[in-house]
Amino acid sequence: MLLSLPALHLQTSEHHPLFQLPHGRLGPWCSPTGSPAPLSCETGCGEGTWILVCRLLVPTQVSLLSMEEDIDTRKINNSFLRDHSYATEEHFRLASFSLPSSLLHWSKPPPSRTWTVVMTYQQDYLSPCLYPLSALSDIISTVEFNHTGELLATGDKGGRVVIFQREQESKNQVHRRGEYNVYSTFQSHEPEFDYLKSLEIEEKINKIRWLPQQNAAYFLLSTNDKTVKLWKVSERDKRPEGYNLKDEEGRLRDPATITTLRVPVLRPMDLMVEATPRRVFANAHTYHINSISVNSDYETYMSADDLRINLWNFEITNQSFNIVDIKPANMEELTEVITAAEFHPHHCNTFVYSSSKGTIRLCDMRASALCDRHTKFFEEPEDPSNRSFFSEIISSISDVKFSHSGRYIMTRDYLTVKVWDLNMENRPIETYQVHDYLRSKLCSLYENDCIFDKFECVWNGSDSVIMTGSYNNFFRMFDRNTKRDVTLEASRENSKPRAILKPRKVCVGGKRRKDEISVDSLDFSKKILHTAWHPSENIIAVAATNNLYIFQDKVN
Amino acid sequence: MLGKGGKRKFDEHEDGLEGKIVSPSDGPSKVSYTLQRQTIFNISLMKLYNHRPLTEPSLQKTVLINNMLRRIQEELKQEGSLRPAFPASAPPAAAAADPLGSSSREAPPAFSQPAPAPCELGGAAALEACLTPASLLEDDDPDTFCTSSPAAPARLAPPALLPPEKDSFSSALDEIEELCPTSTSTEAAEADGPKGDSSSGGPGAPQRPEGLQEGGRPEDPKLMDSLPGNFEITASTGFLTDLTLDDILFADIDTSMYDFDPCTSASGTASKMSPVSADDLLKTLAPYSSQPVAPSQPFKMDLTELDHIMEVLVGS
Repeated sequence: MLLSLPALHLQTSEHHPLFQLPHGRLGPWCSPTGSPAPLSCETGCGEGTWILVCRLLVPTQVSLLSMEEDIDTRKINNSFLRDHSYATEEHFRLASFSLPSSLLHWSKPPPSRTWTVVMTYQQDYLSPCLYPLSALSDIISTVEFNHTGELLATGDKGGRVVIFQREQESKNQVHRRGEYNVYSTFQSHEPEFDYLKSLEIEEKINKIRWLPQQNAAYFLLSTNDKTVKLWKVSERDKRPEGYNLKDEEGRLRDPATITTLRVPVLRPMDLMVEATPRRVFANAHTYHINSISVNSDYETYMSADDLRINLWNFEITNQSFNIVDIKPANMEELTEVITAAEFHPHHCNTFVYSSSKGTIRLCDMRASALCDRHTKFFEEPEDPSNRSFFSEIISSISDVKFSHSGRYIMTRDYLTVKVWDLNMENRPIETYQVHDYLRSKLCSLYENDCIFDKFECVWNGSDSVIMTGSYNNFFRMFDRNTKRDVTLEASRENSKPRAILKPRKVCVGGKRRKDEISVDSLDFSKKILHTAWHPSENIIAVAATNNLYIFQDKVN
Repeated sequence: MLGKGGKRKFDEHEDGLEGKIVSPSDGPSKVSYTLQRQTIFNISLMKLYNHRPLTEPSLQKTVLINNMLRRIQEELKQEGSLRPAFPASAPPAAAAADPLGSSSREAPPAFSQPAPAPCELGGAAALEACLTPASLLEDDDPDTFCTSSPAAPARLAPPALLPPEKDSFSSALDEIEELCPTSTSTEAAEADGPKGDSSSGGPGAPQRPEGLQEGGRPEDPKLMDSLPGNFEITASTGFLTDLTLDDILFADIDTSMYDFDPCTSASGTASKMSPVSADDLLKTLAPYSSQPVAPSQPFKMDLTELDHIMEVLVGS
């Protein structure tokens, strides 16, 4: 059992000495193989075609197994990750075999606008004794670009955060534009145990939100069910040398041996990226946190759980302000919970929260301290023709997102995505069917719990296209202007060289055309819940279980 | 439930349900509607009470399932086919309430605000309501009987509603009995889940009594039918060692004289309530249950004995 995490994400450049192998650097691990393979797909979206930029595999966690005994794998893995800057040679020696080989596809941009695969990362396990352990902990549970799109953060079920950084464009390697490489990895949350209730608190990262960059360091908020943490990710490329009282290894020198004094100087060193927790906001939520949202004033943020929403100041960790509380006095009367919440992108006093009954409430914090009374209430009247036992469950909103303009909100319930105008409360202005063919399967989906899956939805930078996930590793994009939509699949098979990514189609009726897939063959265990869109460019990140796919739209 | 990457195959039974939804008005689809409702009801109960995760169950999921159960209960109530005497606002939410707030508390007083007393009251009043038909048969004066018990909590609907609805109830019961031959096993399986936690204590115990309570409260006649399953398991775990309910109550029930279930469930309900309440109740119940030997004896028990049991339930 060997720990392979750091070694897999090695770079060609000198920028990541963190994972430096004792035997020297690896050769370039992203190199073109074979002849250029144009991978493109046409979509009817009007947006052109999407290409796979890179498929980054979050490596499965493995543990160090000593000869004598079984070591608690979790402990070793976690401590390793936490102390990654002090990883020993031994760790790396053991992990050195797991060299990934990546396939880089150069694609000549076709005349029309196409989405093409720029890069695919594939892992080749060279050593037979590598066993991926606890694969579940690697299921990606959240994906988020930062405000410039330079960084992409993913959180997984094991409490880890992996940050990818976009490769800088360089003149000689213009094709590399769009690659994302691992920038930093750290263990954000640990599993905890609630002794009062005798229940575990999962370390799964529910949400990550970036703060806008104000200095050289990057800040992000990550949360599990109970605790929010503010992480600072900073680079260090210089270190002081020439201390008087300490020698180069840090050991104290015997003062008697010091004969001269010198001034320490800063010398360049190999770039190191370190992540430190700057704030821990704990013990404020009785129920499970489902959302966090940074306010546009960049001084406060809110965290929402099933029944309450708290407002925090970044500087104060021992106090939070409760702004919404829908807990009934008698818990037996509880029929509705909060499912998502978000601040308005421009107005720091406005936020929305969605409920399990398909309603959205917009609140203004200026109105009162406790925003139990909403300012606006968005609800679409139920369509009587579609009424069924599951009407309420499928109307439960799993995600709500403001548009970048701040004028619209988008909500995702089980079968549809709806766009609402903030000025119109009685119905959405647009409704898109994501997978309406599931409407007749609701009973089975209820039985296997798929009906409770929480899909997310995202806007593109210009608010013209919205995207959301579905089953069978499908994800869908809807162009609001042209009213066209496309279904794409994020899968390993389609990311091979010379493979052509095609738009997929699910057939509902009896006759199945050649490339269509029937509803009954859909794999409901492969669901795309988390996606992210670059804030200004057409680059998307799609999380499919433990794989991360990055697609790009190449414009000519 | 799903194999990884495996093709999903739908249960034929459920597949048949998928197409037929709603519209309980017309004849043949009313049957399938009821069937579907019953299936969903069972699934919901199983979800709530069989799930034993290491981490706290999702509140949203629990609330949605509870709402589903409540809706079905409301529908059943509206159809007038069941005992309205059972608390309308029966705590399906108690199941939700409990894991949230008070799962740390130990077994008996596991419900949020209402102490065990109302539950016993509920049981007692339910008992009383169930007793009404028996009293009707013997003594044509339901009103005196109803008012005789001072303990009827505000929650209960007047049991006087029961007699006029006997007919519709029994017909609905028969109809559903034809349709759902397999739900007994489902209920038994469902009872197994919560049952297994009786000794675990902690969050397990509070949920289990609610599970059993929940099993009794929803006015589903089919559920009542399958209550025997609950009790056999109850008795077999040794919790009610003094009681030989299965022998007494469920061996050979002569339903020709009593063509609906309330009587069966009455004593059943009482016994079902026993694990929830204190041990004294158990002991007081035991002598009464052990007396009758013949299968149909409970139904022939004296009114006074039942009255006494009721007083015991109400009193503690």
